[in-house]
Amino acid sequence: MRTSRALGLVMIAPAAVMIFLFFLMPVVLTAIFAMTNMSTATGISGGAWQVTQTAVNRLKAEMPELAGGIAEPRFVIDEEGLAALEALKLKAGFGTELRTSHMGEVFPSRREAERMIKALKDRPSTREVKQISDLFNRSVLNTRFETRDQLMASLKKLGFTLTPAEQETVAATTYTGWVWTTENFRIIRNSPDMAQIFLNTAFYVSVTLLLFNVSYALFLAITTHYMPASTASVFRAIWLLPRITPVVIYVLMWKWLTWDSGFISMFMGQFGYPPKNYLLDSANNAWFFVILINGFIGASMGMLVFSSAIKAIPQTQFHASEVDGASRWQQVRHIILPQLRWPILFVTCYQTLSLLASFNEILLSTRGGPGRATEVWSLAAYHTALNNYTGNLEYGLGAAMALVLVVVGIVLSLIYLRIFRYDTLISKPLIED
Amino acid sequence: MAEKPQTSANFSSLPVILLLGFFSLPLLVMYAYLFIDTISDTEVGSLTPSEFTLRHWSFLWETKTGKPNIWLVTLNTFIFASCITGVILTVSSMAGYVLSRLNVPARGFFLAGVMVLHAFPSVTLIIAIFIVLQWIGLYNSLIGVILVKAAVELPLGIWLMKGFYDTVPWEIEMAGTIDGASRFTVWRRLVLPQIKPAMMALGLFSFLTGWSEFIMPQVLAPGAKVQVLSVYLASLIIDDNNFDFGTFKAVGVFYVVPVLILYVFFQKHLMNIYGGGSKG
Repeated sequence: MRTSRALGLVMIAPAAVMIFLFFLMPVVLTAIFAMTNMSTATGISGGAWQVTQTAVNRLKAEMPELAGGIAEPRFVIDEEGLAALEALKLKAGFGTELRTSHMGEVFPSRREAERMIKALKDRPSTREVKQISDLFNRSVLNTRFETRDQLMASLKKLGFTLTPAEQETVAATTYTGWVWTTENFRIIRNSPDMAQIFLNTAFYVSVTLLLFNVSYALFLAITTHYMPASTASVFRAIWLLPRITPVVIYVLMWKWLTWDSGFISMFMGQFGYPPKNYLLDSANNAWFFVILINGFIGASMGMLVFSSAIKAIPQTQFHASEVDGASRWQQVRHIILPQLRWPILFVTCYQTLSLLASFNEILLSTRGGPGRATEVWSLAAYHTALNNYTGNLEYGLGAAMALVLVVVGIVLSLIYLRIFRYDTLISKPLIED
Repeated sequence: MAEKPQTSANFSSLPVILLLGFFSLPLLVMYAYLFIDTISDTEVGSLTPSEFTLRHWSFLWETKTGKPNIWLVTLNTFIFASCITGVILTVSSMAGYVLSRLNVPARGFFLAGVMVLHAFPSVTLIIAIFIVLQWIGLYNSLIGVILVKAAVELPLGIWLMKGFYDTVPWEIEMAGTIDGASRFTVWRRLVLPQIKPAMMALGLFSFLTGWSEFIMPQVLAPGAKVQVLSVYLASLIIDDNNFDFGTFKAVGVFYVVPVLILYVFFQKHLMNIYGGGSKG
């Protein structure tokens, strides 16, 4: 039957398509977005060319005289202005003379334009000079151009002759959409904030991993091992609760525990301590609880993995050690721990990744506070790109920060793949067709 | 260990029970008060409740201004979790079978890919996914967030299903093909029934994951019409004007009770999967 292969392809197609669309594409797109300066201000689709005051100010640094020129009004004698002049129904001579002898002239200031108008043969009054000059006042300031060419054409009409290089600069400073840039990576490398966040992350991941995901999980697995089965399953159930409880409620309970009218405050109140918010009153306390909140969740996975690994140790080893008079500590040290080497490595790899990436718990408990004391990398990326107080969401910078995690994630999970040799897991199909 | 004669101090369990009981106290206190506080009022400065009340549960029959109706939110959550479960079960039961049994090109490569992605922290992709959903117009819709969530859970599902299929004896399929059934019929009629318990475990797990998910709906579908319970509860908590732990906890209990029920009844099934997918 030749259909085995075709059937296989058909059956795996939905998984392949979904994983490609929502898993692999976002990885690539994260890298692409990281190379842009996308933000709320630039939008995520294209932009326009807009000569705003801020754009002019930016331009001032590189081309002072041009920026000055753009900022000032310019006076151009053109058809549009002449038509408006006719509509004003002043003396017809003004229009005729302007058309014949001044058409297309550009005056860089109001004074020069008015001097010319005053010199017209029909001698306009001062009020009329002002009226006429207003009609020819042209400026690109606060004008929006849909294309780059429109902007350049307008500038040319106003008498600014620009070299291609100058045009490039003007276009770049007035463009409102996003552009390609490597600025994000420079910010990440140089900013002291980023260095602080990096240190926070390293501290958070290593301490939580060491204290809870490995040590405390080992402790849980070993203590439950020495218990009657029914008691052990009660404790395992209790310690799985943090993982099974939806994160929003789980963190809510911790908030209640540490709130200034919460359990700890009330409990300490019995001994005369004033109530305070134990979660947010100092950076040390915040870290203490952030690590506790995440550690309690993390401990359960290690507990399950280590428990089943301990269960796999032949009972005879324990019995033999009993006969030799080994203490409980000696059993742990010489029988259990040596045989848990691989499970410990597995848990360490797996949990490093999930600790690096998950920011749910910190977001819901301290929001990175007090100040930015408990801001970790993934949370900072979220804050930069998706949620912050200033309201300008910097997608590009956020994506660049996420890209750092993506790269670390790929590297660590490839190592993980090397450790747990997957090739031993593929067996050859026994039905060959 | 229980049936062993207690001759050695190594197997006296009292000290470890006491020690572990002490460490478990914070969790027990938090859960106990989670339930107590929803049906009672406690005076400030006291730890014992003073009177019985149901006012914290008023969110069930009156909608708060500016917040969506709780029943709509619950329905959304149910749809969200069920659809994810459906997608994950369908897609991963097929893909898992292919990886376990069928001879397709690049099978090893696909398996390695699934394993890498399983360990890969998908939440780091959320910024890119957010922009993509905005582009294709699925931002703020249940469909978008369901597809995304199901897709990022797929590697684990496929991985587990592959492990489950590996335990099914080949003889069943050989017998089927000898009797003239196609490979598809064999899978559908003979192999799938064998792994029903595993399917149930994965289904439960997916449902609970969907039910508990917070960050994806929060970022990808925060609108009032498509809000799910986690986002609803988080928005209550963040609203500084109405800070009331009683109500938060009542909503929390309303939200967590289905989870706890499923957990109590199907603990054994779930334990296998919460081991981090190392099974298989």
